[in-house]
Amino acid sequence: MSRRLDFFYDILLEFDQPVRGHDFVLRCLPPSFPGQDILDASLTLEPYAHFALQRDGFGNLLQLGRIEQPHDHFRYTVRGTARIELALRQPENALPIFRYASPFTGVSESMGDFLNGLALPDDPEDRAWALVNVVQEHMAYTPGVTGVDTTAAQAFDAGMGVCQDFAHVYLALARASGLTVRYVNGLTQGEGASHAWCEVWLDGLWTGIDPTRGRWTDDSYIRFGVGRDFGDCPIERGVFLGRIGQRQTVYMKVSQQ
Amino acid sequence: MCAYCPVFFCLERMGCTVEDLVKNARLINQQLARYGVKFGIYKDGEFQERLFPFDAIPRVIQADEWEKLEKGLSQRVRALNLFLKDIYGPKRIIADGVVPEDFVYRSPGYIPQCEGITPAGGVYSHISGIDLVKGKDGVWYVLEDNLRIPSGASYPLIARTLCRRCSPETFRHNAVVDNRGYGALLRRTMDSVNTGGINVVFTPGRYNAAYFEHSYLAEKSGAALAESGDLYVRDSVLYYRSTKGDQRVGAIYRRVSDDYMDPLAFEPTSLIGIPNLMGVYRAGNVAVLNAFGNGVADDKGIYYFVPKMVRYYLDEEPILSNAPTYLPFYEEDMRYVMEHLDTLVVKDVAEAGGYGVVFGSKLDKEKLESLREAVRREPRRFIAQEVVDFQDLPIMDEGERVERKADLRAFVLSGKDETVVWPSGLTRFSRNPDSFIVNSSQGGGFKDTWILSR
Repeated sequence: MSRRLDFFYDILLEFDQPVRGHDFVLRCLPPSFPGQDILDASLTLEPYAHFALQRDGFGNLLQLGRIEQPHDHFRYTVRGTARIELALRQPENALPIFRYASPFTGVSESMGDFLNGLALPDDPEDRAWALVNVVQEHMAYTPGVTGVDTTAAQAFDAGMGVCQDFAHVYLALARASGLTVRYVNGLTQGEGASHAWCEVWLDGLWTGIDPTRGRWTDDSYIRFGVGRDFGDCPIERGVFLGRIGQRQTVYMKVSQQ
Repeated sequence: MCAYCPVFFCLERMGCTVEDLVKNARLINQQLARYGVKFGIYKDGEFQERLFPFDAIPRVIQADEWEKLEKGLSQRVRALNLFLKDIYGPKRIIADGVVPEDFVYRSPGYIPQCEGITPAGGVYSHISGIDLVKGKDGVWYVLEDNLRIPSGASYPLIARTLCRRCSPETFRHNAVVDNRGYGALLRRTMDSVNTGGINVVFTPGRYNAAYFEHSYLAEKSGAALAESGDLYVRDSVLYYRSTKGDQRVGAIYRRVSDDYMDPLAFEPTSLIGIPNLMGVYRAGNVAVLNAFGNGVADDKGIYYFVPKMVRYYLDEEPILSNAPTYLPFYEEDMRYVMEHLDTLVVKDVAEAGGYGVVFGSKLDKEKLESLREAVRREPRRFIAQEVVDFQDLPIMDEGERVERKADLRAFVLSGKDETVVWPSGLTRFSRNPDSFIVNSSQGGGFKDTWILSR
């Protein structure tokens, strides 16, 4: 069984004043790998900029470039088609680093105490699932209280956050209890904003698990980037000259063919 | 004692002319101050700049002694470079159980973004600063490897130049190997890994305490001195904005730590970095000296394993010794450390520059207990070493000759095809007669290091 998904992802950054010397790195094109076949994908940038394609240490596709001339907005639009078929996934080696705490996923004292009070199953798959329920119980989905810099420990103490925070809290707890897990960002079937979830390494297979929605992932998820945490694989990062305010508008749509 | 010279027990082969240097020490120090030979230190949580006081009595290393040091240093650095290549590549040394993976992946110096990238020429640590001390037993011990941005080569370099100017006689009477080829050696090292384009020395700017060194080394090696605004990336190529137009950069000797080098790959708030430099590096379009991620090979925890690396990668016996070191990570070592804590020196692996170093013998009972607790709680975070009773060197302190603890930072340069030890080095001493810590961040001074050619 496979599913064909059309995806559309559109980000508009508007600046208060024109900026120049704008360097960017995007991870907005999903890579192909066994289980996820990107049949076609296109990226358009506005203003037009030439970009280089590279792969980072985690295997993510990067688009790097620079816009020299003054511009008051930056828009990138991605369109494509993916075929997802989980049965085609292949066992692979995991970087050992995914077993260790990362900048966003350090375990605070309160998290440590919390973990010590849990009776987790020994079987890794059962444990991975049990922790999803733990996160679901502890966290309330609440937009607007956390930001992109919020760590797992902060989100845990607040007991609130969005998908990025759910994923970070999950990673911190899962790593501290011996699982090999990583952060994933991408798109899921539907309309709205991009999403973040996790993958657990089970018998060599990276298996998607979604702490925000409390479920294993299926063929409605398109993976864009992976890393130890959000900091390793943001979809967009840029710097430019000047202290200038900016607004971001995001729209995405994924629909089954 | 020599009849002409009230301050020295002159070595016969040194002649008596070192006295000239001592007499002129004030003058030399004035010159150094004019050049801006400074060091930045943190005192009581505040950053301060200090002049780096020069002591005119050189450390002298005999030719045969140097020959052995040279071989040992080159061997050590070759092994460290192979280790880095392995860690960011196949990781054989972990798979073979020589280095536990904990010491790699918990190291703050390990940078996963570097996975799979092979730097130009396969070299990671081009400029290595290896800190040694000479024990009272006459044996040299390595205390620390510095593979990120070791500083200090410029100090003996300029001091030598000033000393020669001040007393040419001294150098006529002593067979001192000339150390002024450092700039040429640095250039050769950069050229050997250069991917096409000019060489630059990248500095955080003139407000940095080591700015003198950056500018001096740029001048001596014929590289352009660049700050962040002088460099930019286009189409995965690094360019330098010069008066002759934009020039492609093939090698960048950067004096900024990894975290701040590229705001798009590392610390996003860095204002002194070069956006997307990592992309240039990844594409193989620039050599970065030293490479990103070297911190994994020079932290205090991995130090313990360096002699094992020499055996593992080179199939040779290590020529240089480590100070006897225990890793509380291993049960057997933990037992020893717990029993002998009051005679050992304990180092926090996460700290550098002489910080986080505690001598058990200097602690009262209560503090010793809390240290014991800390080590027990986080074994991975500490190493413990026997206190090496190292030789004192004479220094002049307000007209009097006194003995102080001193160490030696040797500089080893690794290019694509050769690993060369600079025949000189930075000898640092502590001002405080009770201190074993000679790190310049702790406010010591420095000496020239003479290697004798016969």
